[in-house]
Order: sequence, then structure tokens, then C-alpha cells
Amino acid sequence: MTTATLTATLPPSTHEFSEVIHRLEAGGSMLPDTPDNLKQIIGIYKAYAVPMDFYWRDLLYIAEQVFLNPLPAFKYFISEEYLDRPNAYAGDTADLRIWRGEADAHPELRAFMEKGEVNRKLPKLLHHLWHDRVNMEFAEACMEAMLWHEDINPGFNAYLDSEEYKQNSDRAIRAYFKGNPAMLGLYKLFPEMFLEQVKKLSYYANLGLFWEVMAPVFFEMSDLYDEGKMTTVPEAMEFLVNGIFAVAGRPIYHHVYIDGECYEIIPKSQAFTWLYEAALPYVEAVFYRTAPFRGTKSYNAQAGQIPADQKDFHYGILYADVFPVGSAGIPPTLLMQDMLHFLPDYLVEEYQKHGRGEDDMLIQLGITFQRSMYNVTSAVIQALRTALLYPLDDPNPEHLKANRQFFEQQIDRFKRPEARLRDVQDQSYR
Amino acid sequence: MLSPLIWLPTIGGLLLAFLPFKLTAQQSRISALTVSGLALLWTILLFTQFDLSAAGFQMREFMPWLPMLGLNYDLGLDGLSLMMVALNSLLTWIAIYGSRETMERPRFFYALMLLVSGGVAGAFLAQNLLLFFLLFEIELVPLYFLISIWGGDKRDYAATKFLLYTAIAGAFILASFLGAVWLGGSADFSYDQVLQIELPQSTQIVLLGLMLVGFGIKIPLVPFHTWLPDTYVAASPSVAIMLGGVLAKLGTYGIFRFGLGLFPDAWAALSPFLAVWAAVSVLYGSVTAIAQKDIKRMVAYSSIGHMGYVMLGGAAFTELSLVGAISQMVSHGLILALLFHLVGVVEDKVGTRQLDQLNGLMNPLRGLPVVSALLVLSGMASAGIPGLVGFITEFLVFQGSYSVFPVQTLLCVVGTGLTAVYFVILINRTCFGRLDNQKAHYGKVSLTEQVPALILATLVVVLGLQPNWLVHWSAASSKTLVAAVPIPETRIALQSEPAVFSPKL
Repeated sequence: MTTATLTATLPPSTHEFSEVIHRLEAGGSMLPDTPDNLKQIIGIYKAYAVPMDFYWRDLLYIAEQVFLNPLPAFKYFISEEYLDRPNAYAGDTADLRIWRGEADAHPELRAFMEKGEVNRKLPKLLHHLWHDRVNMEFAEACMEAMLWHEDINPGFNAYLDSEEYKQNSDRAIRAYFKGNPAMLGLYKLFPEMFLEQVKKLSYYANLGLFWEVMAPVFFEMSDLYDEGKMTTVPEAMEFLVNGIFAVAGRPIYHHVYIDGECYEIIPKSQAFTWLYEAALPYVEAVFYRTAPFRGTKSYNAQAGQIPADQKDFHYGILYADVFPVGSAGIPPTLLMQDMLHFLPDYLVEEYQKHGRGEDDMLIQLGITFQRSMYNVTSAVIQALRTALLYPLDDPNPEHLKANRQFFEQQIDRFKRPEARLRDVQDQSYR
Repeated sequence: MLSPLIWLPTIGGLLLAFLPFKLTAQQSRISALTVSGLALLWTILLFTQFDLSAAGFQMREFMPWLPMLGLNYDLGLDGLSLMMVALNSLLTWIAIYGSRETMERPRFFYALMLLVSGGVAGAFLAQNLLLFFLLFEIELVPLYFLISIWGGDKRDYAATKFLLYTAIAGAFILASFLGAVWLGGSADFSYDQVLQIELPQSTQIVLLGLMLVGFGIKIPLVPFHTWLPDTYVAASPSVAIMLGGVLAKLGTYGIFRFGLGLFPDAWAALSPFLAVWAAVSVLYGSVTAIAQKDIKRMVAYSSIGHMGYVMLGGAAFTELSLVGAISQMVSHGLILALLFHLVGVVEDKVGTRQLDQLNGLMNPLRGLPVVSALLVLSGMASAGIPGLVGFITEFLVFQGSYSVFPVQTLLCVVGTGLTAVYFVILINRTCFGRLDNQKAHYGKVSLTEQVPALILATLVVVLGLQPNWLVHWSAASSKTLVAAVPIPETRIALQSEPAVFSPKL
């Protein structure tokens, strides 16, 4: 019915990715709807969600508990309390129950933290030193991308620069360093230094709260797929779109706990919301922009390889070259390594059939991850279209034209030669 | 003691070729590996029996064969032959191990490889000029088949070119041998007999000239080298290892044993020109390698350059330079075999040898990381980076030659610089950079495919760190060879200058 209306009212697009645009207009995803694609993306959502369950807990732990510790040597050793912390979107206590599972840390995550890759129960510190752990550095790198690309989150950043924020931070800093004249003296001398650190911690909280939503969404999608209730790529995208709208209004805040007392650095009353202050900036910062990989681009100013303007950055997962994963200077390796531990069996079997099997699984799953992120981005684009423009089955051709313009604008960003949109159309890209 | 080195491979090869029952490719490969492995073990046994202090030939074996022709089955071993025989046994085993399992007519292939190996061992051990010549010529036919049946593109052209060049080389060598014996009035062709002959210098120069052309083709030295790039490139990796690693040494071995040994006066007179010739070879080989676009051709030209160092060491004929030259023959054999093996693996997996198509092979997951790492190591060894065997041998040659031919030596040093240039080009274009996402679905290199390279690389590193294990075997033999050659007046003055130039080993 939908497609019939469309073909009747709009001529075919002349865009170089017209096929993708027509698919979006028909309510589909940028990723072609094939059973293989569905299997890959759902499997990788599951593998991504488990480390993500750790990421969001540890990000909040750092933002709320570690806070300004000048030597945060143990910031990745999160407390039991944060492992047990109920996810707001899972379990019986949920504000809105997205995942039907338990609200505390995922059992696979707990098992991994306990025994690790070596599959032996060792003290936490030894697992850490043997690098048998979740690569939290990746989560921090995502946070830094959001912090540094400040133009994409104007409302949030304006508040971080406000007097009120400074006063809130000031109270927390003084409370945190109470009885520590050295740090208090330093704060007196260089207040900006400490304020900047607090801003960074606010972004820790921001990203932590963002991922607190995504982890249960991905877990639930995986469960639905296993139950046979999710059968096409557009359904997977639709689930994400609905998820986005369901939690769009969740507050983004930054609370710090010092000596059992809560300091509200960004109070919930500021009414920052999940969709506008976390999700959309995250997608722009991490999926599209991030920072050039040290192993692929030269930062040499004379060479001019890196754009002068931050809005032209194009180093996110949608553009990344995944083939060098595992080499030096390729940050996504950290995430790929994390996901490797939690792959569902059906994906491992799939990878064994292609490429070098076990040996280049890191790259194969990286490419799968790229596919799945094209699907997530499609969900974001569809959500934006729903929020800002018209329904896909709108009878007014002018409205459909506006939708098309919007889609074309979005897809224009993938015209760059580095973009992998063309690659993910092809099942042989592995 | 010595005969098994010849007969083990030869009989093994013949059996493999003519036994009446069927053998699968795998079975023939294992048989060939066993035979060459036994020969290798026997060679190790020789090392334990070798008397380091003895000056002359050891473990002599003599059996009259055709006394009318002066042709007797006469074998002997000194430090020079020992090194060559060892190289032959090792590289034969490596070449057979590294051969492709899916080739056609495997039985014939392995039989020919074993025949070549047995023949070469015989040539290195022969103490009779005719016997040497006989075995030298015998190599040609199996090698012709090895190149023309199992080679790559243009193999017929290459095989024919190889056959013609080497046959002509044989004619020159035979002419020189016959001249030496007939003009000197020797009773037979035994090396000891011919060694006693004293010919006038002018005659010696003519005969040495003939020999230089003959062996110069085989080594090869610069104007006679044009068969080499075609042949090495067309040959399969295993055959290229035998050709470059072992057969090329027949040329330098012949020049040292017979040219230097039989015509010492002529050698003394011609040595400055030989040194210039060596320098030209080194520079020409290096400069031409820089221009190549095919990595196998690069390695082939590097071989021409590296054999130039051997000639330089021989031309200078100080004790040190000769030890250096003999060790350089071994180190070149090891490094070239390593390079050819690695290039073979790269070609097998990636499907090309072109510098402008290869890229990013160092990628740890999708590239060929171990092969790339070893390629870097062997390139460095070839270019004379300290800590690896190439440096030791080149430095010995330079140290031994500088007091005699300073200018030629310095030119050769420039050659090592140029070697570094083209190996950096090669490594940069193949190992560095990024993979092409459309094409880079290369097969995995299994551990068994890496074994030959790992063995060779270990030797290259160990002998580079503990060079005495390589060098001391040939010290006594080089002393004997040097003692035979009269030192020209001009050199005495030069040599007596600073003592630091000839440190004791």
C-alpha cells in the first residue's frame, strides 16, 4: 500500500544512492533486508550489548564516585554496587521495561569479569594487568569525541559554561577535596583546570546514561530474534525507532556522591533529554565524526590530510576502514576485541565459513558491526524524519518531496569515497 | 665418508623415478624429504669429523675409473668444499620441503631435484678436473627440465637460455682444463697433479681468462648475467632456491678452486682487474635491482650484486678476504633461499609479484604478517645490517680487501648502500601501506609453509650473532689457497702498512 502511493506520486530519485533512498522511503533501512544481514546485525547487537552493559555502569561509576581523583588508578574496578545497579529499562523495577531480563549486570559479563579469557578465577588486579578485561578505554574515547565536538550539543554545552554549573561544580570540588589543602590550593590557583575536568565527567555521565538505554534495547532485540519474533531488517530498525521515541524524554543529569551526600552538578530539573542531549550528539560524534585514526591519517599540519573544520570530520564507524583492525593505531580494535568474547554461537559458525575463519574473526565481526551501525543510523534517520517531517504514507506529494529531500541530504554524507554505504549493500563485503 | 653425499640423493632420485609402483604426490614428497634429510644428517656428521687444523684435503676417496682419460673417482674435502656441501644439503632439503604439494608429476620433480643435489655435491667434492666437469655438466639437464616443466611464464625461453649459456660456459671451462693439462704435460686430470704444473704467466692468463668467462657465466658476473633474471623469475621457488642458493656457488667455487689454485701467477697479475670487475658487478646489480617492478627480479639482481662481493674477496686474496668470500657464499645462499621462499609464498597467496599491486602485507589479521616480518629481516640481512649474517661476511670481505684494493672496496661499500635502497623500496611497497579491501582475501599461511623460512631466518640471526660458527671452518683452507699465490710487489708495500687491517680471526 505504502509503495503503491509512493510510486504513484513521486518520480524515481536521481541520487547516486537512489536504491537506498527508495528503500528508506518505503520504510526500510540503509542496510538491505536479507536474512544474512539480519543474523549478522542481531548477533553483533548481542555481542555489543554485553560490554556496553559494563561501559555504562563504569562510566556512571567514574562520573559519580571516582569523580576528581587525581590518580584514578582503579577507575575501571567498579564497585559491586554499580554492578548490581538496576538498569532503568530492564527488570521488575524498570521505569519502562524494554528488556525482559534482569536489571543488574548481565550474567555473561559477570562471568567474564570473574574468569576472563584465561578462564580462571584470579584477583581482579591480575586480570587487569594481564589485559584480560573489558577495554574501557574505548568507552572513554567515545566520551572524548562527544566532549571535543562541542558544536553538536549546543544546549548542553551552554549549560556547562553557565554560572550555575560553575557554582554546582565548585561546591562538589570543595566537598571532594575537603581536608586536602594541596588540592584545594591548586584549585584556588587554577580553577579552570578543575572545572574542565568536571565538564569531562559530566560527559561521562551523559554517555553512561545513553548506553544504559541501548544495552537493554539490544538485549531485547537479540531475545526477540531468538524467539523468532524479529524476522526482517526493517523490523529490527522499527524496534530501534520505537525504542528511541519511548525513552526520548529520559532526563540526562550528572550527580556526584561524596561522603554519602549527593551533589547535583547537572540537576534533572535542567530538563536535558536523552534524545537531544545524548542520542543525537552521540550518533554525530561517534558514528560520523570521531577523530582520525593515528594509524591511517597523518596529523601533520602541512600534509593537510585532516580537515580544519570539525564538521568535516568523517572518521566514525560509518566511514571506518575495518580491514586494518588489529594493527597499531586503529582504535576500534578495542571494541572488536571486547565484542569477540560475547559472540553468539551462530555468528562464530558464520565467521568460520568465511575469510580466514577464526583467524580474522576480529575483522569479520568489525564489518558486521559496521553493518549493524548502518541499521542503527537508519533508525535515527527515520526517527528524525518522524519527529521533524511527515509520515511515509502521507498523501500530499509536497510532503513526500520534503521527506525525500531530507533523506537525500542525509545520504549525501555518504558520497565520500571513504563511506562504507556502498560496501554494506554487498553481501560479499566481509 | 664422502660418497654417500653423492649417492644417497642420486640413487634415491633414480629409485623415485623408476620404481614400478604408484606413489601419491604426498608419498613422493615424503620419500624425497627422507632422502635429502639423510644427506643433511650425513653432512652434519661430516662437520663432527672435520679436522679444523688440517691444511690439505681430508677424507679422501679414490677409485680408478677411466685411467686412459685420466678420469678417476677422486673425492676430498677441505673447508671450502665443506661449506658448499653443507649449503647444498640444507638448501636441497629446504627446497624440497617448500615445494608446492599440488604440482603436476611430483615424482619426476623430486627425482630431478635429488639428482641435481647429488651432482652438485659431487662437483664440490671432486678432486679430479674431468670428474668436476662431468658433474658440472650433468646438472644442466635436470635443471633444464625443472625450469621448463614447473616454471612460470616464459619458462621455455628461460630454460633454453639457461641451457645455452651454461653449455657454453662448460665449453670454456673444458677448454681451460684441457689447456692446463696438455700444456703442462700432466699425466692425468687429478687436481693434485695439475697443481704441481708450472706454466708461464702468459699461458696462465689465457687459461684463466677462459675459466673466468666459463665460471663468470655461471656466477654470474656482469656482462654474462643476462640469463639469470629470466631463469630465476621463470623458475618455481624451489628451483630458484637451488639455482641461486647452490648452483651459483658452483661458479665461485670453481673460480677459487681452479682459477686461483691452478693459475696463481695469472691470478696475481689479473687481480686488480678482477676487483674492478667485482665492483662493477656489485654496482650494476644493485642499480638494476632498484629499477625493477617485480620483486622476484629484484631478488635476482640482488644476487648478481652479492656474488660481486665474493669476487672482490677472491681478487684481494688475503686470508681474511678469502674467509670472507667463502662465508659470503654461504650467507648469500641462506639469504637468497630465504628471500626466494618468501617471495614464493607471497606470490602463491597474493597472486602477484608486482610492486605496484602488492601492499599492506604486514596487516596482522588479513595480511601475511609473519612472512612480511621475515621479509624485512631477510632484506636487512641482505643489505648488511649488523647482527645478521650478511653483515659479518660483507665486513670480512671489505676488511680483508681494503688494504689491497681500497677504491674497489669503497665502490662495493656503496653497493651495500644501494642494496639497502632497493630492499627498502621492496619492503615499503609490499609490507607497508594498507590492504586493498576489494582484493585482500588472501589465504592463510600455515605453520608448515613457514618452516623453511623460520629455519633459514634462525640461521641468519644465529650466525650473525655467533659468526665463528660460520667462519672458522674455512680458515685453514683459505690460508692454503692464499699461500699458493705469489704476492705482487705493489701489494707487499700496501699490506705491510698498518697491522690493524688484518686482525687475526
